[in-house]
Amino acid sequence: MRRVFALTAILTILGIANAHAEDTLSPLHFQSQGPLGTIDKAAAQRGYEVYKSVCAGCHSLGKVHYRDLEALGLTPAQAAGEALAAGGTLNSPIKGAAPLNMGGAIPPDLSSIAAQRPGGPNYIYNYLTGFGPAPAGVTLLPGHNYNAAFPGGQTAMPDVLHDGAVTYQDGVQPTKAQEAADVAEFLAWAADPNLDARHQIGFRAIIFFAFLTIIAVASKRKVWRTQA
Amino acid sequence: MTAQTNQSWAASRLPCLASLCACLNARTMAPGGSYFAAFPFLIAVLAAFLSLSGIVLAVFYNPWHAFASVQFINRDVNQGWLIRTYHATGTTLIFALAYLHLFRSILIRAYRAPAEFSWLMSVKLLLVLLLTGWLGFVLTGGAAGHLSLVNAANAALSLGGLPGAVGLWFLGGPAGQGTLARLEVFHALLGISLLLVVWAYFASRKAAAQVEPAKAVAFYPYYLAQYFAALAVLAFIFVLLGFYAPGVSGVAANHIPAGGLALPLGAGVPWYLAPAAGLLGVFPTAKLAVAAAIVAVVLLYALPWLDRSGPDGAKGKVYCFFTWVLALDVLGLGLAAAGVLPFSPVLAVLFTGWFFFHFLVLTPVVTAMEAK
Amino acid sequence: MAEPTASHAPGESRRDFLTILAAATGAVAAGAILWPVVDALNPDQAAEGTGQLIVNVSDIAENTAKTVQWGGLPVTIRRLSAADIAANQDELVVPSTLPAPADFASRVNAGYPSFVVVVGLNTATPCALEGDSPSEPRGDYNGWVCPCDGSQYDPLGRVRKGPAKRNLAIPRYTFINPSQIRLG
Ligand code: HEC
Repeated sequence: MRRVFALTAILTILGIANAHAEDTLSPLHFQSQGPLGTIDKAAAQRGYEVYKSVCAGCHSLGKVHYRDLEALGLTPAQAAGEALAAGGTLNSPIKGAAPLNMGGAIPPDLSSIAAQRPGGPNYIYNYLTGFGPAPAGVTLLPGHNYNAAFPGGQTAMPDVLHDGAVTYQDGVQPTKAQEAADVAEFLAWAADPNLDARHQIGFRAIIFFAFLTIIAVASKRKVWRTQA
Repeated sequence: MTAQTNQSWAASRLPCLASLCACLNARTMAPGGSYFAAFPFLIAVLAAFLSLSGIVLAVFYNPWHAFASVQFINRDVNQGWLIRTYHATGTTLIFALAYLHLFRSILIRAYRAPAEFSWLMSVKLLLVLLLTGWLGFVLTGGAAGHLSLVNAANAALSLGGLPGAVGLWFLGGPAGQGTLARLEVFHALLGISLLLVVWAYFASRKAAAQVEPAKAVAFYPYYLAQYFAALAVLAFIFVLLGFYAPGVSGVAANHIPAGGLALPLGAGVPWYLAPAAGLLGVFPTAKLAVAAAIVAVVLLYALPWLDRSGPDGAKGKVYCFFTWVLALDVLGLGLAAAGVLPFSPVLAVLFTGWFFFHFLVLTPVVTAMEAK
Repeated sequence: MAEPTASHAPGESRRDFLTILAAATGAVAAGAILWPVVDALNPDQAAEGTGQLIVNVSDIAENTAKTVQWGGLPVTIRRLSAADIAANQDELVVPSTLPAPADFASRVNAGYPSFVVVVGLNTATPCALEGDSPSEPRGDYNGWVCPCDGSQYDPLGRVRKGPAKRNLAIPRYTFINPSQIRLG
């Protein structure tokens, strides 16, 4: 029982620490990571801007709908506005299938990419900032670019982010690293939109069931003590 | 008391209620039962829980668009992600309990006469669980599940003979789109049949129980209180796993839809299938693997008769020691299948060999020795 | 239970506070665990989603209506003329004299009283109504008429002449802003 208390105490402390954690780029930290992580909605909203203005040209996001954006803190009217601006409705996917084919490489749908790649948002960040000149001795395939994070080192995707590739409403400086981190958090949310609910419900459930366990065991002992 | 009159009113019109009450109040149970003895009860509760969550999943699951429908459940069904968490975490826990229950049954030799039938049902429980769990893993439509299905179908195709025919009947030919539709039905039927197996287990355990009448206690309130406490602990563990380690029940590669160009390397299987996968994996051909599986199953079933110590043979230290070694061996098989051990392929062969050696040689020899 | 005390001789202590607390907490737990199973069968997001339609109403001229298809039904949105509003708001038409009494406030959204949103199906014979544009037949009450059985409705969608006996149904809708409404 003491262990149960200790565990809940530790989890509480972690939770508080987490709530105050700031989204920092060095060292790279995503608020959504860790056992008590929550989606950083401001970052994810900025990430949506990046997706919309940069990535959507090539990548679909077929499982996420405009209505889902309300979970990121957009009002229903704002979400409807986004949908209308894209010629869709609240129920349209943010972007359907992209039939684009770039020299044999097809840009994957990004809905679940953060769950599909080991490392999740960290990998996406590293991938988006991992472009650079090929080191000596590496010959690039036609239509490919060097990328330090990509398995094999060369990817058909070009280096698309740069300082000021988008303008942020909230005044955050759109550096390349910031854009990459924001879109990574957005994609982490897209891949696991229930993260916040899971951690919230889980936290309450742990406390509740710890309580239930204690009284159930105590009551069992009491009942058995009456045994003749 | 009105409650009492009500009860007799109902009981006189539905006599099985009276026998249920009598059953709950009859002093037939051992005094001071261990929490481990509650595992089959927990397994029964989890089987019911899995059936319930499975029914909800079946409402939305679409075998023709398996992966997309699972995504839909996760993203668009009210509490869909929670229902999936229920089903996945419930699977992990029911397997954990089944493995522990079997281990304890071997350790305390709960299989001996007159409880052989309980043992047979315990083994059957694990086998039905393994098949159901594998089907569930395949049904997700993820790349890992699909790879496993393709391997199974290829094995069935290459087998020939009766096992091949059975395999092809089960899978309906090479893994195609319609395969999942039939597997969904089999998954549900097998899952619900678990309840029957557990029931048969309880019935036979009750028949075989030898309790000194003077010391016996009733289910109500003693075991009710104990089972309730056991359930509370289970729920606590459930919450920890389900909400904070939702990945334990699956494999990462199942996040990728099946049918992509690149089959993920080392896709693997969920932990609860890993020991079986490790054992089957060491055999180079499907024929050998099937033969080995049959032998392993027969050996497990035959355990009450492999034990040569007779009905009242004392529990020996050497026997206990080797039972613990067997547990490590099964664990090792799972780890080797997951490829996390160095020299995994070699170790898997060793562990598989030991598994057969344990039942074929060690069990009869050690029990016979210690009986003297 | 024929002999309720047979199985626990020493005292009645098993029904004590602790046991009751444990049982009650257990019942709460069971309820909390089972609730998602029930909730999962409520309409899912996609069904809710397709159940919603956003209609632009800024392009509807006074005294005309526009009909959109929603959930398999024709939903008619009419912008009332100032005369219609005045006549009804001041109860020149006495609601209690109508076949199905309903006052102005019950037929419009309080914040946007110039719009009437109804299901454009006659309530007797289920026919689509005529009268959206002033050039169509509108009957004696400048509302809608049914081409099948001749039932007549006023601009608020209240039945004025049979065989229909009920007013036009009002679907669930919300104004997102003065120029957009969401159906569903
Ligand atoms: C010019 C088209 C284009 C744009 C714009 C683009 N991508 Fe890509 N992306 C691709 C292609 C093509 C691939 C496939 C690369 C390969 O397989 O070699 C890819 C692959 C990826 C991958 C998967 C990498 C892997 O590990 O397989 C991620 C993640 C990704 N893109 C994210 C983004 C994000 C985030 C943006 C917006 C900031 C973006 N992409 C913008 C074309 C694009």
